[in-house]
Amino acid sequence: MKKRIFLTMIAALVAGIFCIAATAADAPDIKVIKDRGVLKVGTKVDVPKFGYRDPKTNKIEGFEIDIARAIAKKILGNPDKIDLQGVSAKTRGPLLDNGELDIVAATFTITEERKLSFNFSEPYFTDGVGLLVKKKNGYTSLKSLNGKKIGVAQSATTKKAIQEEATKQGIKVDFLEFATYPEIKAALDSGRIDCFSVDTAILLGYVDASTVLLADRFSPQTYGIASKKSNTALAALINKTVLDMKKSGELDKIMKKWKLK
Amino acid sequence: MNGPLALFKWQALFKEWNVFAEGLAITALVALFGLLLAIAIGILFGVFGASKSRGARLLSRFYVEFFQNTPLVIQVFFLYNGLPNVGLVIPVFLVGILGVGMYHGAYIAEVIRAGILAVPKGQKDAAFSQGFTYWGEMRHIVLPQAKLVVLPPMTNQAVFLIKNTSVMALVAGGDLMYCADSWSSSNLFYGPAFIVTGILYFLLCFPLAQLARKLEKKAEAHK
Repeated sequence: MKKRIFLTMIAALVAGIFCIAATAADAPDIKVIKDRGVLKVGTKVDVPKFGYRDPKTNKIEGFEIDIARAIAKKILGNPDKIDLQGVSAKTRGPLLDNGELDIVAATFTITEERKLSFNFSEPYFTDGVGLLVKKKNGYTSLKSLNGKKIGVAQSATTKKAIQEEATKQGIKVDFLEFATYPEIKAALDSGRIDCFSVDTAILLGYVDASTVLLADRFSPQTYGIASKKSNTALAALINKTVLDMKKSGELDKIMKKWKLK
Repeated sequence: MNGPLALFKWQALFKEWNVFAEGLAITALVALFGLLLAIAIGILFGVFGASKSRGARLLSRFYVEFFQNTPLVIQVFFLYNGLPNVGLVIPVFLVGILGVGMYHGAYIAEVIRAGILAVPKGQKDAAFSQGFTYWGEMRHIVLPQAKLVVLPPMTNQAVFLIKNTSVMALVAGGDLMYCADSWSSSNLFYGPAFIVTGILYFLLCFPLAQLARKLEKKAEAHK
């Protein structure tokens, strides 16, 4: 009889430990996602290959969506359990802070200053800043843009990168900032700016018959998956997923799929 | 503390306060010149709208309906990116003034038209009988009386105009909203940036709104 009670107690203890272990594995920030059953992801909808809403199918697709799917698989066991929301450079930060989004995978460049406000994963992509100009103006390099106006995106790191390079080369350029890429393209077309400069991968989506992408590349920018600063367990899990994907070659495979390599 | 309003974000803002001061200066200047333009346009089309000539009334109607029924954002975008296609490149500062000036000119025209129509017809007949020309009658008899009715809603328009200068942010206008956008979007310290920007707009508009109230009371008392 005594033995029986003893065994029951052991069983209860083991069960208890399992219970604790189970809850410990689910930090509150991850539990929220599991309870909801869907991962809320912010992506670009206007950057071909990275995050782009295909006008024909009305579906958002791209390299970053595939990474988000891998993270959803890691957390929820199903890559389809994602809820995509289009973000701009300006909305992605606030949407993380107010909990509308769990993660942001939207050509989000990692900087030291930004790390103060958000968690960033290890970089999953490295890209240089490029220069898109009109063919008929005959610009050949940043140097030839001395004294000209360069259109950049708000909330992008381009301005700083170009400014540093310009100072190094001893030339002077002016910057005009716009909220969206199509607005910068419109300003380039109307001659308000002489050059459209953002990350090269983004510029590739805007090359057309009248424009040309110059060979110059500046200060490599690294993209990371961002999450809310206080969601540390989630950040660790995202980071692990990205690192695993790098190690297993899955990341390379997706990059190839989107012709980014 | 971490979050949108973390202390270090406020410190960063106060260290770089001059960014916001420059934006505020542009906003104030565009608002001032924009208001002068709006009043000029408003008087012209307001008088046209209340005139006896069918052609002038039609012209005023056309102007007012066009500017009241299309978004300011599109008008400004057209001035900025549309006109250069036909070789007309207007500096962005002027785009701001023209944008808010022409847009609010339409609203002020309606305010002035209503003010003129509120002046009793006998006043106009009397002026006519004294040999005033049409513009003389307007200047010396009708507009001074209309002023009392017109001033409170006009001051409200000035408040709207100040706030609407923020559309310049869309075309890299260098105004307060643009500076706040630009500053906060590179470092992502948007919390303090937009609170301070909101307060600055409030400080510009609140005294005017108070003035409108005062004028309204005065107009009431005059009746």
